[in-house]
Amino acid sequence: MTHTQKRIITNYIVMTLSTISALIGIGFLFWILGVLIFNGIDALSWTIFSQEGAPPGYDESGLKHALIGQLMIVGVATLFGVPFGILAGTYLSEYGQKSKLAETIRDISDIMMSAPSIVIGAFVYAIVVAPMGHFSGWAGSIALTIIMLPIILRTTDDMLQLVPSTLREAAFALGAPKYKVIIQVVYRGAKAGILTGVLLGVARVAGETAPLLFTSFNDNFLNTDMMEPMASLTVTMYNYATSPYEDWQRLGWAAAFILSMFILSLNIIGRIFLMRKRGK
Amino acid sequence: MATIVDIKEEKALEVQNFEFTYDGADAPSIKTLNMPIAKNSVTALIGPSGCGKTTLLRSFNRMHDLYPGNEYAGEILFKNRNILSKNEDLIKLRIQIGMIFQKPTAFPMSIFDNVAYGMRLQGIKNKTELKDRVEKALQDAAIFKEVKERLKHDANGLSGGQQQRLCIARAIAVEPEVLLFDEPTSALDPISTAGIEELVVELKERVSIVIVTHNMQQAARVSDYTGFMYLGELIELGRTEEMFVTPKEKLTEEYITGKFG
Repeated sequence: MTHTQKRIITNYIVMTLSTISALIGIGFLFWILGVLIFNGIDALSWTIFSQEGAPPGYDESGLKHALIGQLMIVGVATLFGVPFGILAGTYLSEYGQKSKLAETIRDISDIMMSAPSIVIGAFVYAIVVAPMGHFSGWAGSIALTIIMLPIILRTTDDMLQLVPSTLREAAFALGAPKYKVIIQVVYRGAKAGILTGVLLGVARVAGETAPLLFTSFNDNFLNTDMMEPMASLTVTMYNYATSPYEDWQRLGWAAAFILSMFILSLNIIGRIFLMRKRGK
Repeated sequence: MATIVDIKEEKALEVQNFEFTYDGADAPSIKTLNMPIAKNSVTALIGPSGCGKTTLLRSFNRMHDLYPGNEYAGEILFKNRNILSKNEDLIKLRIQIGMIFQKPTAFPMSIFDNVAYGMRLQGIKNKTELKDRVEKALQDAAIFKEVKERLKHDANGLSGGQQQRLCIARAIAVEPEVLLFDEPTSALDPISTAGIEELVVELKERVSIVIVTHNMQQAARVSDYTGFMYLGELIELGRTEEMFVTPKEKLTEEYITGKFG
């Protein structure tokens, strides 16, 4: 066999193996989506959105309590996490820059990003739930905020650093004070990137179950008082899916379907923004 | 010692025993430099890469202060005050001494908002005044005709040459007394370059101009005075038409005849 033939064969083998691996990976993804859609759409109906949870065996049961609880817990977490994350990212990129403090914050936030979310849940249990004496929506939001923070902080930091320094200098050269340079020029230049970070951060926490088990816990009925235990799609899905009742299991599939579609669309929107920015 | 021609005009800036050291550097990048800059004329700074011409230019509006650890020594006099003094109000200074950069720096906003940016910083809110001054600045920067139909469009949609003229419009809109050009045409095609050069010559009636350039023909075309810098020192400052024909210093002659650089 000549050297060239050997090279062509090796190339062929490597290409085939990597293509098969990629197809297997994608295959699982579509399999999951397929099962979700098949079982989820089947379980979808109007009552899912209009009715609260009910004991097993009742016709009129739905996920309204979990949907509203989920929106409130994630919404409050976003309300806290986004401004904090963006401001902290601004500190890193614009003020801290390469200083020791800024580099330390970057390292710690990278570690936090890979921390198991159940540990964050246990932490919030210890500092919020235990002293209060009961689970609450607030505790759930706090746990999700902590998980969201490093994601938004790092994307903001990265996106702001992508804004060319000559653009900042040009604004300074016109006599702009630093905070105006940041708000009027740097933020504008990084708008799409920061928005992507926010969307991906929200999408990440919206799918969390473990930290909520320790914090907001669950409620089978509609509750809008953040001081009390609150239902969420993820925990509700866990409870219903592991129950022995068939109608509850169907609701569990519906919850899984709604949650996946929500997170999938957040991710897609985030990626579209990122692509548009790169396209420029 | 540098050979410095006698300047008859009033002086816009006067550099005296100036020294500049970058953060962490062992030696100063500019060493005891003395140089007058004539009012309402164009002074070109030429010299090989790393000679300190951009460093000097960026000292005139204290751009180096944006990064920690850089050090100035000596004096730069502007309107009878030393702008290197610790009490200098940098915001006011940068309004009076504007800057145009190597690459166009259009902000991510509309053409109108770009030009209005500096005026808005100064608190001008009156819509008719803003509109009049934006149009005037665009006319003075010879770009109004091309953009008057799309003032609300994103400035990043303009070509490189148009963006550079937009940046000039933005800089002159706040009516500075001195304009600093840092190789303003090095990223542009020949036609856009000719447009910017024409503009520089026209603008000197209203502002004093200092321009850093790598291109000696450009220095010869646009400037009244030329300063030749080498290894952080000013070697010679002369009238442009004399310096390119009969340089007084041997180093200057070698540089402009292409023996090094």
